[in-house]
Amino acid sequence: MTPMGRWSIVVAGIAALLAAPFALRALPVDDAGTDAAALLTQVQEAEDHPYSGYVESQGTLQLPVTDGFTDVGALLGEETRMRVWWRGEDRWRVDKLLTTGEVDLVHDDRGTTRWRYAQDDVQRSPDPDIRLPRTADLLPPSVARMLLDDVDAEDVERIEARRVAGIDAPGLRLSPASEQSSIEHVDLWADPDSGVPLRVAVVGKGARTVAFTSEFREFSAATPSAGSVAFRAPPGAEVSFDDVLDIADAANQYAPLVPPASLAGLAKGPQADGAVGVYGAGMTRLLAVPLRDQDAGPLREQLARTPGVREVRRGTVVALGPLGVMLTGGEGDGGWLLAGTVTGDTLVTAARDVTTGTLVRR
Amino acid sequence: MIAVELHQLLRSRRTWVTILMIDSLPTLVAVLLGVTEVGPRPGTGPAFLSAVLTDGTLFPLAAIAIVLPLFMPIAVSIVAGESIAGEAQQGTLRYLLVRPVARTRLLVAKLVSVMVFVLLTLAVVAATAYVTGTLLLGDAPVAATTTVSGTTLTQQELILRTLLALAYAMLSMFGVASIALCLSTFVDAPLGAALGTLAVLVASTLLLTLDAADSIAPYLLTRYWLAFVDLFRDPILWRDVVRGALLQVVYVAVFLGIAWANFATKDVKD
Repeated sequence: MTPMGRWSIVVAGIAALLAAPFALRALPVDDAGTDAAALLTQVQEAEDHPYSGYVESQGTLQLPVTDGFTDVGALLGEETRMRVWWRGEDRWRVDKLLTTGEVDLVHDDRGTTRWRYAQDDVQRSPDPDIRLPRTADLLPPSVARMLLDDVDAEDVERIEARRVAGIDAPGLRLSPASEQSSIEHVDLWADPDSGVPLRVAVVGKGARTVAFTSEFREFSAATPSAGSVAFRAPPGAEVSFDDVLDIADAANQYAPLVPPASLAGLAKGPQADGAVGVYGAGMTRLLAVPLRDQDAGPLREQLARTPGVREVRRGTVVALGPLGVMLTGGEGDGGWLLAGTVTGDTLVTAARDVTTGTLVRR
Repeated sequence: MIAVELHQLLRSRRTWVTILMIDSLPTLVAVLLGVTEVGPRPGTGPAFLSAVLTDGTLFPLAAIAIVLPLFMPIAVSIVAGESIAGEAQQGTLRYLLVRPVARTRLLVAKLVSVMVFVLLTLAVVAATAYVTGTLLLGDAPVAATTTVSGTTLTQQELILRTLLALAYAMLSMFGVASIALCLSTFVDAPLGAALGTLAVLVASTLLLTLDAADSIAPYLLTRYWLAFVDLFRDPILWRDVVRGALLQVVYVAVFLGIAWANFATKDVKD
């Protein structure tokens, strides 16, 4: 064989290898042509559909959170890799995959069990209505369920289908009806057979890039086996029971406060029956958490160091993509942490309402 | 030809000194952990290192996680980088090819020799780690080892999965070896081939930390090296393991192809 022949073979082989992934991606995506309203209905009806798969989420929100806020900062600001087996709302398992192990959540009718490999511990806890976000909330169906709860056919339009986890998934764009939302739109792609959301992308107002995405890389709409959502503490692991899940749950249970029935015109949700208020719905949602001074102080210091932070009359406010965060009060005080997908003006008005309208429980 | 190369490899004192040096790091780690009983903070440090204080049988895996990202690729770069360029530098390549030896066969023999070096190194590291792990570290019940998913493995399952992890680690070094071997056919100085390969490794590792490089991350040489941890999830997560194996096959095909085209065509003067 001549030198030219050898090099030709090698160059052709390399070109074929390099072109293969691009060629696969260039294959046309089939769109069943379902209209927006029908697709929305299909997605909403699939809320209880079982599924399993491998999910990657990517957040870009650099939250100024402190240790008391568990891993919320990482969940919304970094890549999270998960495996999920979802038989239903009361029976599921979500494994957060780490290079050094796993942090798994296993849910059944008695509550949620958390397994941490690196710490070799198992924690059982009840499932409070009010809590901070956790890995299971990052799954595309969970994100979609939260964002879709006040959406109707006028708020949605069809977008191009996209191949997600090897499935040609029709797309839907949700635009918030409320001016108070800090979200520009949410794009969602769903499995055409089951209606389960496969990919969700959130874009903030005025932003050119996506602030948060969650996407199945592998997906099955079949019901996972009962064994896949079972968990038994391994021998030697430290097992504990904690009836307080996180800082939001603790504040909700023990703070002697009753927040107002509405903040900035957003009505309090039915799940908020303690000191923590959840206001609004869907893409316009606000959480109000009362903090003690020992929790508020470090958070205030973190907020002061966050780029774009503003001092306003009732506290400190910052916008992190579509997520607005405000802490009321000043140094040495406790305060209300207000956070949600609302505009800065809404946060300032909410701060006024919560500081003037909160009742003290006796 | 392969037998000759293997004979040379096994007879070389440098081979065993290199293996000893690689082996010394995890051994030192085992001694330090055993004496101080202070493990890395949960979630930090190489995979499995926080678990070996309770279960020493996992130390071979921790040892692989310790040597795989840096020590092994450096050694493989040097050994493979020297394979052709070393003969050229010593002036023996010309005489080697005077014999009725097909250049392609020589190239294959050199690659096999490098991979045997990798196999030997991993075997020595794993065996030493098993001994030091069981003697110095945690003595959890050997009947069951906990997977990262919280289920338990029998001894047989643990051995099988450890062997799979070793095979995967060996495969991961295949790509490094083929790049070094390829560069070795282009230069006359072994150091140049080794440094060129290390430059590729450093670039790959650096790009993996850059969000802007996310689109090319799945094609970077080092992207899936630590995916052997997925063999210890339950059920096994094959996704990255399979991708890692296929990626190495592509690297080997590309760089061996270039090495073959160049070496078979090259005008050997040294």
